[in-house]
Amino acid sequence: MKRYELIVIGAGPAGLSAAVEAANAGMSVAVFDENARPGGQLFKQIHKFFGSKEHQAKIRGFRIGQQLLKQAEEAGVEVHLNSVVMGIFDLGEITVQHGDGVCHYKGDSILIATGACENMVPFDGWTLPGVMGAGAAQTMMNLHGVQPGSRVLMVGSGNVGLVVSFQLLQGGVEVAAVIDAAPQIGGYGVHAAKLARIGVPFYLSHTIVKAEGTDHVTGAVIAQVDESFRPIAGTEKHLDVDTVCIAVGLSPMSQLARMAGCEMTEKGGAVPVVDEYGQTSIPGLFVAGDVGGIEEASSAMIGGRIAGAAAARRSGYLPEEEFREKASALKASLGQLHEGMFSPKNKGRRDLTVTDEGYLLSKTLLHHGYLSEEEVAGFPGAAPGKSAGIHPVIECTQNIPCNPCQDACRFGCIRVGDHMTALPAVAENARCVGCGMCVASCPGQAIFLVNDEEEAGTATVTLPYEFLPVPEKGAKGVALGRDGRVVCPAEVVEAKTAGFMDGTVLLTMRVPLEMSMKARFFKTGEGTK
Amino acid sequence: MMRIQKHPILDRIQKGRQVTFSLDGKPMQGYEGEPIAAALLAAGVRVHRYTTKARQPRGIFCAIGRCTDCVMVVDGKPNVRTCVTPLKEGMRVQTQVGISAKKESDDHETI
Repeated sequence: MKRYELIVIGAGPAGLSAAVEAANAGMSVAVFDENARPGGQLFKQIHKFFGSKEHQAKIRGFRIGQQLLKQAEEAGVEVHLNSVVMGIFDLGEITVQHGDGVCHYKGDSILIATGACENMVPFDGWTLPGVMGAGAAQTMMNLHGVQPGSRVLMVGSGNVGLVVSFQLLQGGVEVAAVIDAAPQIGGYGVHAAKLARIGVPFYLSHTIVKAEGTDHVTGAVIAQVDESFRPIAGTEKHLDVDTVCIAVGLSPMSQLARMAGCEMTEKGGAVPVVDEYGQTSIPGLFVAGDVGGIEEASSAMIGGRIAGAAAARRSGYLPEEEFREKASALKASLGQLHEGMFSPKNKGRRDLTVTDEGYLLSKTLLHHGYLSEEEVAGFPGAAPGKSAGIHPVIECTQNIPCNPCQDACRFGCIRVGDHMTALPAVAENARCVGCGMCVASCPGQAIFLVNDEEEAGTATVTLPYEFLPVPEKGAKGVALGRDGRVVCPAEVVEAKTAGFMDGTVLLTMRVPLEMSMKARFFKTGEGTK
Repeated sequence: MMRIQKHPILDRIQKGRQVTFSLDGKPMQGYEGEPIAAALLAAGVRVHRYTTKARQPRGIFCAIGRCTDCVMVVDGKPNVRTCVTPLKEGMRVQTQVGISAKKESDDHETI
């Protein structure tokens, strides 16, 4: 039986972060993961993360995964793959299934970072091939390069549903609609807006009634629901889809903690009770990441580092004072991610009507996925009264923890302030040079550069573009509005990118002058209707 | 269902060498090391098995080895989770009916 000072179960963002932290403090660390590849769900996350620079904002999830693996290797962490941890026993003993055999290991401390699994919702036809988790679709397309279907209905408008819908479009799959039983969109408005401007419809207060087909999905029926979430007869609508993706939340995979005898509580599923550093009721048994309560990868990584440091303190590798200093810095960083409208304490709240600053929240954004032009004008990112010359228009209207736009502008045009959840504001005397760094840096793709060329009677709009093929300079087509409807003819005048933009292209289109605050997406070769 | 040839963010997704395997006796192509389920999906195959009692079809559901909906008979062994089992040259994959392999001469209508 091999012994380690720390055994980590799960090589996802939380587990790897904990392992790196503990190994860097000097511990011998082994990580066990049931999968063939490490990284958990990080390698499926191809979008840019939110947060600040220290939270690795504007870096795509899979790149963060690559960095973590490199750090783990450099720190001397042993990663055992295809290794299913079957049980945790007294005195830090675990059993691990490798292939057909079972081995015992012992850890002075053990950290459970087994993550979460997708929730499901049963309906007529839910077991048909073609009905799958949103995560399953993401796995097939982003890890294995295979489209999960050709036309998808997304059930659930939380961030997973919104992000995966966008990734489906990036993978060349059509998204017929995003539906949610709740009366408003659950995820970030900026994620919804990315879909709406491409023309994906949202059906709120709607549920799926049926997946049609005998051997696999050939269609779906949705219907409006009443206040008790019951389908209303006569409101059924048929959608032509071959795939239904379910994104109705995640549940912690806390079975090992329960089996080990940890005191449990309820937090979106059964989770172990932990102290402020992630230690359960069993001394030396820690948890980090989604298994301790569903959040997202950025906070899982910080939580992992805190628990890893706590394990190092427990084994005498981190002096008390050094530990406290480290832990308090990490907790401050975690605290920043826990602020704003979508913070854990606000989870599921639907009664918020104004931002922290007192701006009225957009109802069209919550109900249809896009801002109305009138609403945009009222936010500080739209720089009311400042329309001469090139300038950014920031359509970021909810308090979310994110500030790369502030760092992106070298000329100080954009201010979020010290409070990361504050709405970005465009300075009155902004000296915008049109570099587009803010457009490229926004993980929510919510920043546009607008240049009104009044003498020529035209304007240019620069938008973030992450699809193939990239329209070439001179390409003619139409501009779509925030709601995805055609607003006017448009011509591409520039399509530029650079390595650091990591796949984001800054697409500049010319539109009639009066359309500069309406045109938000470009579509090649379609006539104006 | 198609393979994504070029992706705006991931460019070209790395694959192993192309290999031949069989599904219910029919030759199929896939890439070595990718999950069997991915190769089947790329070929447009959605039904992996039929349930024991009601003979209902099942396919990819979680794609991470949790739900066991996608199990098939692989090289004679039933209940193999195809979403987490890497494809190898010459693998014999069979649609699972209950816990047995579908007869190779059968087609779906006769089940």
